[in-house]
Parts: sequence; C-alpha cells; structure tokens
Amino acid sequence: MTIDERPVETASAGTGREHPAYSSTRYPEKLRIERKMTFGIGLFKGMAVTLKHLFKHNTVIQYPEVKQDLSPRTRGVIALKEENCTVCMLCARECPDWCIYIDSHKETLPPKRAGGRPRKRNVLDRFAIDYALCMYCGICVEVCPYDALFWSREFEYAEFDIRELTHEKEKLSDWMASVLPPPSLEQGAELPGQAAAPIAAGGAGPGSAQRPAPPAAVTAAAERPEQAAKATATATAAAPAPSAASPSQTQAGETAAPDSVARATEEKVETHTGDALAGAVTDAGPSGPDAAVSPTEAAGTGAAVAKDDAVTSEPGVGASTSESGPAGGLEPLSGTSAVSSTQPGVDVAKYQENPGPNVEVPHEEPRPRALEPTEDADAVYSEVLQGQLEKGSSPQVAEARAKVAKVKAQRGIKRGPTPVYTPNLVPSAPTQGHEDPSVPSGAPEATPPEPDPGPVASTAQEPAAGAAPPASRASQPDPPEAETAGAEASSGGAASSPDSPAPEDPEAAYERVLAEERAKGSSDPVAMGRAKAARVRAQKAKGSA
Amino acid sequence: MQWPEEVVADSASGRLQTQSMVLNVGPQHPATHGVFRLLATIDGEVLVDAEPVIGYMHRGYEKLVEARDYRQITNLVSRMDWLSGISNELPMWMAVEKLMDIEVPPRAQYMRVILVEMNRILNHLMFFASFGAELGAITPTFYAFREREDIQYVMESATGGRMHFGFMRCGGLKEDVPRGFFEGALKAVRQVIARLDQYEDLLIGNEIFKERTVGIGVLDREAVHSYGVTGPIARASDVDMDVRRDEPYLVYDRFDFDIHTGMHGDCFDRFWVLVHEVVESARIVEQAIEDIPSGPVLGKVPRVIQPPAGEVYVRTENPLGELGFYLISDGDRRPYRMKIRTPSYNNVSVLPHVLKNTFVADMIAILGSFFFVLGDIDR
Amino acid sequence: MSGLTLATIVPDIHFTAWEILAVKLVVVLVTVPVVSLIGGYVLHKELAHLQQRLGPMYPGGFHGWGQTLADGIKFIFKEDIIPLTADKWVFSLAPALIYVPAIMLYLVIPMDRNLIVENLDVGVFYLLAIGSIATIGVLMAGWSSANKYSLLGALRAAAQLIAYELPIVLMVAVVAMLAGTLSILGIVEKQSWPFILWPPGIGLVAFLVFFTGAMAEMTLPPFDMPVAESEIITGPFTEYTGMRFIFGFFGAEMAHMVAFAGIITTLFLGGFMPIVPWHPLTYIPGIIWFLAKTSFMVFLMIWIRFTFPRLREDQLQQFAWKFLIPVSLVNILAAGAWVLYAPSWLWK
Repeated sequence: MTIDERPVETASAGTGREHPAYSSTRYPEKLRIERKMTFGIGLFKGMAVTLKHLFKHNTVIQYPEVKQDLSPRTRGVIALKEENCTVCMLCARECPDWCIYIDSHKETLPPKRAGGRPRKRNVLDRFAIDYALCMYCGICVEVCPYDALFWSREFEYAEFDIRELTHEKEKLSDWMASVLPPPSLEQGAELPGQAAAPIAAGGAGPGSAQRPAPPAAVTAAAERPEQAAKATATATAAAPAPSAASPSQTQAGETAAPDSVARATEEKVETHTGDALAGAVTDAGPSGPDAAVSPTEAAGTGAAVAKDDAVTSEPGVGASTSESGPAGGLEPLSGTSAVSSTQPGVDVAKYQENPGPNVEVPHEEPRPRALEPTEDADAVYSEVLQGQLEKGSSPQVAEARAKVAKVKAQRGIKRGPTPVYTPNLVPSAPTQGHEDPSVPSGAPEATPPEPDPGPVASTAQEPAAGAAPPASRASQPDPPEAETAGAEASSGGAASSPDSPAPEDPEAAYERVLAEERAKGSSDPVAMGRAKAARVRAQKAKGSA
Repeated sequence: MQWPEEVVADSASGRLQTQSMVLNVGPQHPATHGVFRLLATIDGEVLVDAEPVIGYMHRGYEKLVEARDYRQITNLVSRMDWLSGISNELPMWMAVEKLMDIEVPPRAQYMRVILVEMNRILNHLMFFASFGAELGAITPTFYAFREREDIQYVMESATGGRMHFGFMRCGGLKEDVPRGFFEGALKAVRQVIARLDQYEDLLIGNEIFKERTVGIGVLDREAVHSYGVTGPIARASDVDMDVRRDEPYLVYDRFDFDIHTGMHGDCFDRFWVLVHEVVESARIVEQAIEDIPSGPVLGKVPRVIQPPAGEVYVRTENPLGELGFYLISDGDRRPYRMKIRTPSYNNVSVLPHVLKNTFVADMIAILGSFFFVLGDIDR
Repeated sequence: MSGLTLATIVPDIHFTAWEILAVKLVVVLVTVPVVSLIGGYVLHKELAHLQQRLGPMYPGGFHGWGQTLADGIKFIFKEDIIPLTADKWVFSLAPALIYVPAIMLYLVIPMDRNLIVENLDVGVFYLLAIGSIATIGVLMAGWSSANKYSLLGALRAAAQLIAYELPIVLMVAVVAMLAGTLSILGIVEKQSWPFILWPPGIGLVAFLVFFTGAMAEMTLPPFDMPVAESEIITGPFTEYTGMRFIFGFFGAEMAHMVAFAGIITTLFLGGFMPIVPWHPLTYIPGIIWFLAKTSFMVFLMIWIRFTFPRLREDQLQQFAWKFLIPVSLVNILAAGAWVLYAPSWLWK
C-alpha cells in the first residue's frame, strides 16, 4: 500500500493557513483555556478517539506478504555494473567509511593496428562492498564517472555471519537486476539544456500535468536519437554479447536522428520485447563506422550517449569503436546530462512504460545543473577545429571534435577538467588496488604519463603537464583549471604536487610553507605541521628524483 | 505543588528521619531516549538532586569531520540528531556556501525549506509520541508513527533515505525531487494537521495529562537565558525567539508563519508549543509548495568544494533549538575545525535546575518534555 | 454446600467428596491459565486495533490465535535468573503468592445458576480477603529483588492497594445491603434488574467506584504506577525472568483482569441473569449472559487502559482518599436510606 492509496482525512475546517484554530500569533487565550482543568469530559473524548480507531482500517503493511512500493531512489543496496567499471578507484577513495575494496591488475593487449603500440588496461579482479561498514550515503554512486554503480531498493540481505555482508562483485552484479530507472522529475524542475517553463502562479497546483515545452525543434530532434540509443542499449545489455553490439548502438543513435518521433518511440517500445537489437543493427548498417562524424546536429548528443555503451565494449573490438573516438572524448558528464535532457513528455512516457524491476540497464539519474551557453558556439567550433588541425589530427576527427565542442557550448556544458573517457581504455588508474600507498590512487584526472599515442593521448599531451600527472583531458584543453583539478586529485600525493614541479630543497620548502601558512593566518602549530609535511614531501621527492 | 519541598524541608530539618539513596536512571532506561544517565539522589519518591551524565555515545564527530571532505561530512552530521537529519545538513552547507560565496538557486532554497520543515514535523511527532508513552499513554505513540510513516515515505521518494537523508549539496540539492513529491508532501502534511485533533483529545484535553503536566518542571526565563536553552523549550518559557523569524535564512522571510510561545514554562506548555509548531511547519510547507519557482536546484559550484581560508558561523532553527556551525577553513577540502553548537546539549544542561525537588514520576515527565536527542549531545 | 455442577449434569454418577474435590481442582487449574491465555490474546488484538494495527497475525494460523500460547511456552523455556544478592526464598515464592490468589478468586464466581465451584455463604468476604493477598506477594517481590526500582515499585504497590481496598470494600457493602445477603449466588439472583441500573444512581455510583478501585487494585493504567515501565521499569518485577515473570506479572495480570471482570459482572451487572427482566431473554443460557458481560468488562478495561496516561502516586492517593472514599461513604448512606425507606413497589 502506498501513501496515495490511503484515504485522506481532511480537517473539517480547512488546514494550514486557513485553519481557524491557529490563526493568531500568540495564544494566551487558547493556552489558558486548554490548561484549565476540566472534569471528565477530556477522558471521554480520548476514549472516543481510540474507539473510533477500533473500527478503522489498519495502517500496517503485512511485510513479508505485502511489500511497500519503495521509491526508485531508495538507498537499499548498491549494484555494480561490472562492465562499466574502469577501476578508477574514485568510489573507494571517496567512501567515507572505506568499505569498498577494489583489486585489479594490468593487462597488455595487442596493438589494434599493425605497427601500433601494445595497449594496457586495468582489469577488475575484485570489487567488494562491506555492508557491515557501509553507511549508505551514496557518495560512491554519485562520484562514479562511468555509471558502474547504482542504487537498488532491495534491502533484504541480512546475514547470520557478518562476513557474509561483504558482497563481492558477483553478488553486487546480481543486484543490477533490481535497479529501477530514476523517477521523472517534479514539475518545475529544470532539466539540463533547457530552461524550465515557469509555473503559472498559484493556479498550477502540484500534480497538474503541465510540462515545459521543448525549447526548440532542433533540440528535440537531437534528443530523440539518444532515446533510441538508450533504448537499444537496454536491449543489448540483455543480450549475451554486449561488446559486439556496441558499435551498432552508436550508429543506431545517429541513424535515428533524422527519423520521426514516432520512429524513435517505436524503437523504444520494442526494447522491452528484446527485438530492438536486431532492428537497431539493421538500421545502423548503411551508416557505417563514420557515423560518429556524421554532420547531423545530433552527433554530439548521440555520441555522448554512445559513450555509455562503448564502455561496455572490449577494447579490441574493432575499428568502428575507435573511429568514434571523438565521441569518447566527451566528458562523461555530457553523457549524463544528455540523458537527462530528454524531452520531458517522452521522458515520462518512457518511464511509465517501464517493465519494472527487471530493467537491465538503468539510466543515469538526471543531474539537473545550471546550464547556459557558456561561450559562443561558432567561435568554439573554429577554435577547436584549428587546434585539432594544428595538432595533426585527421580532418574528420578534427571536425568531429569541433562539432562536439560546439554542441557542448550550445548546451552550456562547461569545458572543464572533468574526467575524460578514453575510448580504447587506456589504463586510467595507476595503481593496482590498495597495495601501493605511496602512489596516489588514480582519479581519471590524474592519469600518469603513459606514452601511448592513442586517439586521446594526442589531445591529452599538454606542454604544461611536465612532471605533474598529465591529466587526460576533455577534448577541449583548459589548462589552468585542469591543472587545479589535477592537483586536487592528487592532493594526497607526494612528489606529484603541481606546486613543486622540480624537486625542491627540503629546507627551502619548509621555510616557504611556513611563511605561507603564517600569511594565511594559521595558528603556529598548524603552520609548523604543514611546513614539516612539506619538508618531508620535498625530501621524498628529492630521494626519488 | 508544595509538598515535595515540604518533604525535603522536613528531611533537612531533622523532623523526619529519612535516608536518601542514589538512583541510577540510565544509561539504559526507557525514558532517557538513548544512553543518557541521570544520577538521581532520591529521598523516598522525591528527587533531592539530579546530575545528568552524558558521553556514553560520544563519537567524536567534530574531530572526524577534520579528516573528511565536505560531501562526506554531510552524511556524518545528519547522524548527530538522527531525528532531524536534513536539518543538520542544512547549516553545514550554509556555512560552506557562505564561505565560498555561492548563491543557491531559489528553487533549491524553497525545496530546502520544504524538506527541513517536513523534517521538523517528523521530529515533533516523534517527541510528542514519546512524551505520551512516558506518561503511560502508549496509543498516541502509534498514531504519531502512522503520520511519521506517511511523511517519511514522501521524503524517501525524494531523498532515498528515511532518517539520514544526505540530500543537501553545496549550492543546493543533490537532484530535483521526483514527480508527485509535492502532491505527496501536501497530502501527508495535511493529514498530520487533520489528525492533530486526535492528539489534542488524547493528551492535551485529558485531565490526567493535565494533572501530570500543568505546573510540573517549571523552567523560568532566567534559567533559559543563563543556560542558553533554545527552541520549543525556551519558547514555552515565554522567550519569544526563533532564528527563522529573527534572522531569516533561506527564504523564511517570505512565508507567513507564527512563533508560538507558552506562558508558564512547564511540561504542559512545552508540549503545547510543540503541537502548535507542527501546524506552523505545515503552513510553511504549504506556502512553499504553492510558491516554489522553477529552475535548477543546484547552483554554480566548482567541482571541488574547497572553501577559502576563513571562518564563519551559521545558525539555524533546528527542530530542537538553535543549531550553529562554526566553521574554520584553511583553504583545504576539509574543514580545519568545525565546532557544532547543538541545541540538545543546552537543553540537557538545564535539567538539574529543573529536576530539583520533584517526584520520580515527574522526573520522567520532565525528561520527556525536555526534547533532546542523545546523538545531538554526544556528537 | 450446594451447587455441585457435575452431579446435576451427570446425575447417574456419584462421586465421593475426594473425587469431587479433585475434579474441582482440575477444572480450576485448567480454566484459569486458559482464561489468562484468551485474555492475553484479546488484549493483544484489542490494543492493536485501538492503535490501528493488526496485532499478532502468524502464530497458530488464523489471526495469530496462538500468540499467547507461544509466548507462554517461550517464557517457560527461558532461563530463570535469581539475582545474586536477592533473598532467594522470598524471591522465588513471591510469584506464587501473586498467582494463587488470582486462581482462588475464580472459585466463587458463578458462571451460571449451577455452574459455580464453591458457593460460599460469605462469598463476598472471601473475595475481599483473597483479593488483598496479592499485595503481599508484590511487596515480597519488590523487597527481595535487591533492586532500587523494585523497592520503589513495591512500596507504591503497597500504598496503592491499601488505599483502594477501602472504596472496594465499601462498595461491596453497598451491594450486600441492597441484596440483603453475603452469598454471591444470592446477590446475583437478587438482581432481576442489575444493580448498575437499579436502584437509580446508587448502583451506578457503586459500580463506577468499584470499577475504579478494581483498576487500581489490578495496577492497570491509569493506575499502573507500581509497574510503570517508563518510570521504574515494571517495578517489583524488574529482576524476574521466565516462568516467574509470567506468573508474577503477565499471567497474574490477565487472571486478575478476567476475575475482576467476572466479579463486577456478578456484583453489578446481574451475573448470569438477563440484563433486563424480559421473558424472551431468559431463553438465552445464563453462561452466555455471564460471558458476554464479562467480555464487555474486559474490553472496557483494555480500552481505558490504553487510552489514558498514568497518574502520579500522590495524585492517586489524593484521588482515593479525597474523592472516592467520601463518595463511597455518601453512597452507603444513600443505599441504607434506600433499603430502609424506599417503597416496596420500587424494588421491582
């Protein structure tokens, strides 16, 4: 039984503002009356209240037989989509309880084209969450840049042995089956990429079906394909070979772009029958691998979504994946915001048609964020195009990247030091689990210098990177910010501090930090402590240099 | 109510030969809402002296937060006063936002008000439920939990949690609320108001309840001021203060709500103020839902929450009183120091003052009417 | 010594006195625990529904009818802990001293004209005498537990039971005056109109005072200060576990509750007689009348019990001495005046 099904008792004389009993500021009179001792009437009133309840329907839910319909947002248990995990360790690092255990090893893969270099990637060996420690804050789910973690509303996993509460990755993956798609948002919520329509003052009570209209036809068109792509993704994930399907998803997204709305919805419906995969692949056929650079408006969006799916593909899958490099170059956030920017009407319909608890691939929860065109789109386009050509990218790639940048600029996605997705899975985590404490565990921003000339590496090699971990960046370089982010990511790190690119004399460091701290106004013990820490860091750096 | 004093006087003057004994109320006692211990010296049924002993649940939050970044702290502070999780998160983020000079979008501000006020209703329902139970009337407890369940269900649909919401973020909220939230919230809140009559009939209007509360545990205004008591307890002693009105934060200045004050500072007035504050919270929720603007719920915030060096004090009206966060930042991602001023601590400090020369049974009534949460005392 | 039921039901079999005694013992010893279990179940369910809950639903299958049985079995198998510093003999004996009087109350309650274990000529005296013994048990339990809470509870119980014995005795006196006999069977048969309805006012006041006194004597809310679980954690029974706890507290409470409901039925509601002297109603067997009235009284007790907060000990004393006892005395005067001066046509 949900709350909606329960009968509402309304106060006889209105509620809230209109409630006559509570209408003046201070109630000495009411208080005085209520304090007065009465004789017996109150007792009978109380008995009447309980007697009335004797004949009312009960409110309890007979739990094991009847289960409450919990919200999709309920923080019950964390599910792991193993294919999406890149062992970036962000979740383990951000966990306040340190209850996530990750082990991985590096694998060297053969080069994908003759003469290329062998590539390395991290393979997940162990992913475990100790639910005896977990405090269910959801930070890991929130920080995961690759949509590998989801909340499920299941909560019945009590064990007789506390050790059983450590769920290994197999068990965590099993929870995926129970993950629900996120709920559609409340009226007036702003979806990224469009301003919410203003609610009519007063009259539009909550629950009225008014939804903001799509701002522009272009945007709407741009969003359909991604619906389709998403839907296909749902089907493919259920299919036994997600890797093989991945490229076609990418294409399906783009091919659907010019199609009508009806077509997109149709595909989405088919998803649930599982037939959509075949349909999508057929559709994708003629478009070929160069779909990623197809000059439709939808390219950016579609590719951004395709990113999600591309993650699932094996690194050596084929040319088409690597061809969609620019798409992979998008920052992950764009993927998520693209998802949430679906046109609301479609959005709702989609979730309502949802088959329920057995959805295979949940969508990223919408993360509404303030969006507005940050820069002039055309300027960005030409600037990026120029930059790419100068770097030596092929014209097609350069054009695609520029387009992506343009779309992002239009949609107001800020170019920033967000973690980048590398399409061919360049190893992004420098560590192998927790074993090596001296090396800062790798955030995606802080990828160590890998001399790997992948499609992204060219973008990532910044002159300023130097000794600092050259963050593999978003497709548009933004050095100062990226620098800070890199520094931030490695704040626990030792020699890699961007403040000291070259090993500094320990004593000098000590003096410098002390002076800085004093200037900042820190108390003496703190300043001394920080300075000492700096000295030790400098010594270590020197030793390693 | 002279005769506890008479007994004490008789005993002290030697007219009545009595022997006092020390009664350990707690740490495990049904009336103490947790691991709270009251060292009561009793003379027969009269409390000669009472000394609250706290610290059984000390978890060192003020130190813990120095090793965690702000997002992680959100989930720690919500466990301080576990009955009002989201009300604890609010001032913490307000302090950070103040330090970083971040503007919170209006929709987020309204939403925060809605959530915090719903949380206040939750908290107050819990306290007047437990107050009834301590006086021996267990039925209102279940009625209150019925209402709490409705509100918790709605809040869970938005935040994913039932007690520890963890929903606030720097510059706004984690995400917008799901469809149907406003409707559900209005429904739940109106339900509470509609059913308040039941509590009034069961408790406030009940003669036995009046016998047990009127004139019992009087807290005078001077004690309120000298012990720093805040919240409904202070208001019941006719101290007209409420941070929401006196120093409006969020968008509280846009709502029409009243501050209720009692006149006598006894258990009855404290309970009475509590019940009426539920109504005010419901009014605020209704108004906020009516007026809420559209827009984003997360302001423009840097990816890394790193307030500049400096210090700031932010105070808000927690359901139990004034909750203050004194945040010192040294420019790191973690706070350099975070001093938390919790209302429960002061509310408990004043207990010996009130408990002197009362009956053991009244001690329970007074403990029930001094609303405190143990986690809030022993951070 | 009349009213032997089995002999009348099965007239062919003739028992010796010892056999009769044995049968009576078995009947009583089976009846009282069963009544306790049924009363406990009713308590669970009514309490739950007063609070918009369902109460036990699983044990036994149908609506959890086996809940109290399961509880009892659980308590029997629990460890019996006697505190180290407790006075072991007194501690062990106290529950028996509480439960046995509760059983003995059932001996004189007539369920039907012939369905009474022992029809004493001074049945009312017997009731009053037996009803007070439990106090000693409670005192023993509280004192021997070596626990401060238990001691507080025991002293509260003693003070309370003594204070409420008086109004009960006075009201029974009123009934005896109106009925003109001390035999319980005689009292019932005198009530062609139940005393609660007739004589007007006197009977009702007597009923209300007796009911209040009975609630206090059974330490039910709002008079449950001796066992107040939120103040002094079930008072005298804080240290009890397992069997002793159930016989000292839960079982005795239920047995007392049903017994007092039966006594009130007998004294004020006309026992096994129809509620009004209307001929068709007499076709309903007396035992049904008795059970219906008793069930209603149990329902009323539970209803009140879970609606009201608890009084304070001194308020209770004030209520007893300053209100109930004066009212009782006045009521006795009124009853006396009625018996002496009321015209005879008013009697029927």
